[in-house]
Amino acid sequence: MALSKKEISILIEIVFSIAFAFIFLPYFYENLDNNLVLMDDLIVKIIEIVIFSVIYFSVAYSLLGFFKKTETKDERDDMINSKSYKLGYLLHEFFLFIFIGTLSSNFKNQELLNLTDVGIIFLIFILLIFISFVKSSYQLYLHRTS
Amino acid sequence: MKLKNTIKEYRQKKSLTQEELAFKVGVSRQTIISIERYRYKPSLELGMKISMSLEININSLFYLE
Repeated sequence: MALSKKEISILIEIVFSIAFAFIFLPYFYENLDNNLVLMDDLIVKIIEIVIFSVIYFSVAYSLLGFFKKTETKDERDDMINSKSYKLGYLLHEFFLFIFIGTLSSNFKNQELLNLTDVGIIFLIFILLIFISFVKSSYQLYLHRTS
Repeated sequence: MKLKNTIKEYRQKKSLTQEELAFKVGVSRQTIISIERYRYKPSLELGMKISMSLEININSLFYLE
């Protein structure tokens, strides 16, 4: 199965989502209810994530640029991008709707969301990773089938 | 009714590869492959560029079936 440069670049994003979920999310999951995690530890973890992301994408895209020649971006790519980004946007909207709904129902019961700092970061990361994974997978599917 | 085309036939008559036609009209090879397999419907502009590159009337290139 020969993959084009665009398809490989989407695969790089999918692999990043999976790698991120396996490498970094367990730390946040394990400390989900832990109120004793210091803000400094969280900042160190976030710096680790930023460094990992920068190195991963720099190496991956440099290798891709080295081994695959540049491809023309055309109207089909625009169509595929608009469809996949629309899906990502709808998922964002959906989860925002769920979040506001949960928040308001808890508010009615006179209690706020019982989340720690780690819990909030975990929630944000898992949503971003999930949406990015779905969007990229759909983008790859469209590239292969349309 | 489905939009079909005879691009492959006329491209081969002109001895052009998919890569060469793609370069002429400014799209990727994948786009030409998708159009020839009826998986992607090109815009009117791209359709006209293809018809000009293959020097064939657009009505002979695209048809509804």
